Amino acid sequence: MRFLVLIFALILSACGKDSLVQTKAYVFGTLVDISINGESESKSHEVIGHILQDFQRLHHQYHAWQSDSELSKLNQSFLAGRTPIEISPELTQMLTQAKTLSKQSQGLFNPAIGRLIGTWGFQRDEFMPVEINDAAIQKLVKENPQMSDIVIKGTTAYSTNPYVKLDLGGYAKGYALDLALAELQKQGVKNALVNIGGNIIALGQHGDKPWRVGIQHPRQPGSMATIDLPSGWAIGTSGDYQRYFEENGKRYCHIIDPRNGYPAQGTQAVTVLLPPSPQAGVLSDVASKPIFLSASDQRPNVAKAMGVDNYLVVDAAGGVTISASMQQRLNWLIKPLKITVQ
Amino acid sequence: MTNLQKNKCIDIQTTADDHRIAKLAAFAIGLHLLEAVLPSPLPGVKPGLANIVTLFVLYRFDFATAAWVSLLRVFASSLLLGNFLSPTFALSLSGALLSLAALFLTQYLPLKYFSAVTLSVLAAFAHMVGQLIIVRFWLIPHTGVAYLIPVFMAAALVFGVVNGLLTNYLLSLNPPQQHQDKG
Amino acid sequence: MKSTKPLWGDILVVLLALIFVGYLFKSLWHQEHAAKLQIRLGDKIYATYSLDQNRMVDIQGPIGLTRIVIANGQVRFASSPCTNQYCVHQGWLSRKGQAAICLPNQVSLELLGGEKSFDSLNY
Repeated sequence: MRFLVLIFALILSACGKDSLVQTKAYVFGTLVDISINGESESKSHEVIGHILQDFQRLHHQYHAWQSDSELSKLNQSFLAGRTPIEISPELTQMLTQAKTLSKQSQGLFNPAIGRLIGTWGFQRDEFMPVEINDAAIQKLVKENPQMSDIVIKGTTAYSTNPYVKLDLGGYAKGYALDLALAELQKQGVKNALVNIGGNIIALGQHGDKPWRVGIQHPRQPGSMATIDLPSGWAIGTSGDYQRYFEENGKRYCHIIDPRNGYPAQGTQAVTVLLPPSPQAGVLSDVASKPIFLSASDQRPNVAKAMGVDNYLVVDAAGGVTISASMQQRLNWLIKPLKITVQ
Repeated sequence: MTNLQKNKCIDIQTTADDHRIAKLAAFAIGLHLLEAVLPSPLPGVKPGLANIVTLFVLYRFDFATAAWVSLLRVFASSLLLGNFLSPTFALSLSGALLSLAALFLTQYLPLKYFSAVTLSVLAAFAHMVGQLIIVRFWLIPHTGVAYLIPVFMAAALVFGVVNGLLTNYLLSLNPPQQHQDKG
Repeated sequence: MKSTKPLWGDILVVLLALIFVGYLFKSLWHQEHAAKLQIRLGDKIYATYSLDQNRMVDIQGPIGLTRIVIANGQVRFASSPCTNQYCVHQGWLSRKGQAAICLPNQVSLELLGGEKSFDSLNY
C-alpha cells in the first residue's frame, strides 16, 4: 500500500514539474508566443493574460500611425513647432534610451525617420509596391531628422526639427520583451520564454535543459540553425523576408537606410544574441539594424559599438558571416555553403 | 565441336538457340512465379531469383540472349499472373530495362577481378532505381517514399550479393561449353 | 575450378555499395517525415489533420478566406487574401517543425511529428 502511494505521489509530482503552458496570440500587430514552465495552469494563464494586456496597451499607446496614440500626438506637436508637450514617464524613458542607442549606432538606428518609412508604404498593416518618389525621399534625407533633435525637459518634450516623426517599430518589441521579463520575475515565475514577432527572451530553463530557439532561414520555410538561450538572454533578427514588397524583380524591405533614404540592399538577415541586462530585450531589437545597414567590413566595429558580441549575418548571396563566439553557440540545421568567421 | 551431336545442333543452330532461349526463359518464368506466390519479407521486395537465370545466360551466351530471356520473363510472367500492363507490370518492366542497361555496361568487366556478384549487385541497384522511379513519379508521389529508398537499396544490395554468389556457383557447376570472348 | 577466394573487383563493388547505402540512410533518414498538421486561426487551434490524406481546407479569417491544400504528404497555403502573399510564397511544407503563417489573416500552419528540435522560432 505504501508502495502504491509512493508511486502515485511520484507521478503526481512529476506531472506538476513538467507542466508547460503555451499561449499564442495576435497582439502588437504580430504573433506573440508565451510559454511558462513549472507553474500551475491557472497562475500561468493569469500571468500571460496580464502580459498580453500590457502588450495591447503598448501597441496602442505607441502606435506609429494611429492618430490617437500618445506617440502620434507627440509627432503632431513636433510637426507644429517647438512647443513642448507633456509625455508619460514611460515614453520619456523610452525616448531617452532611444536617443542613447541612436548615438551609439552613429545614427544608423534612427527612429526619427517615420516620414521616410511612411513614404515607402511601411506604415501600414500590409505592404504593396509604391511609386518611388525620389525627390520626396531626397528631401527627407536632406532635412535629416535625428533623435538628437528631440529635447526632453523633465516630463515634456519638443523637437527642433519639424521633420522628426517617431516610429518605434525597431524598438518597441524589444522594450516589450524587457517589460515582460520584469513582470514574470515580479510574479515569481521561474521559467518562461517570450516570443514577440520572432524576438525572444528567456527566463530560467525548459525543465532540465536551456530553452532552445530556432533561427528562421531567410529563404526557406523552417529553421536553419538552433541555439540555446540561457536565462535572461535575448535574441532578435532583422530580415528582408517578412516586411517587404517586390517591384520590377527588386526587393524593398522595411529597413530603411537613413543615410540615403532607401531600403537596405545586400543583406538578407542579421541575428543578434544579447546577454542578461535590463535592456537585453531592447538591444535584441535595436542592435540588429545598424549591423544590417553596414558594409561587411564595418560590421565588427558597428557590432562592438552596440555592445554585441554574438551576431550572425546572411548576405544577399546567402553567404554567412558569424562572430567567433556566436559560432560556438550555434548548431546548424541547414549548413550554408559559405561561412566566414569574424 | 568434336561431338557428333553437337555438330547436329550447330547445323540447326537457330532452332537450338530458340530452344535454349525458350528453356531458359521458362526456367526464369518459373522462378518468378514461384516468388510471386511466396510471401516476401517487405512489401515490394523480392529476392529476384529469376535474375540468376539472366546473369547465367549473360555469362554462358551473350547479352542479346540474356535480354531476350529477361524481357520474355517479364512479359510472360505478367500475362500468366494476370497483371499485364498493370502497375506491377510497369514496375517489373522498368526494373528489367534498367538492370539490363547496367548489365550491358558492365558485361565486359575483367573476369579476373569481377565475378557475377559485381554484375548482380549493380544490376540489382539499377533494377531498384527503375522501380523507384515508377513508384515516385506515378504510383505514390508521396514525399514519404524518400524514407523507404535506403531500405529498398539495402535489400537490393543483399539480394544482389546472394544472387551473384548463387550465379557463381551455378557457373562453376556448368563450365563454358563453347568458346566465348569475354575479355 | 571453383575459386573460394572472393575477387578484388567484387569486394570493391560491394564495399562501395555499402557506403552508398549508408549515405542514403544518413541523408534520407535524418529528418523525420511529418505526419500531422496543426492549423490555427487566431490563438485557437482550428484543426489537426494527418498529412497522409489529400484535403483542401478553407478558413474564414478576419480579412477573408484562406485556402490550405494537403497533398502527397505535404501542405501549403494555396491562396490567401493578404496583399504580400508571403504565406503562399513559403511553398510546400513536409518536415516536422516547419511552419508557415499568414499574419494578416491570422492563420498559421505547423507540422507536428515527434520531438520539436527547438522551443520557439526566431525570425
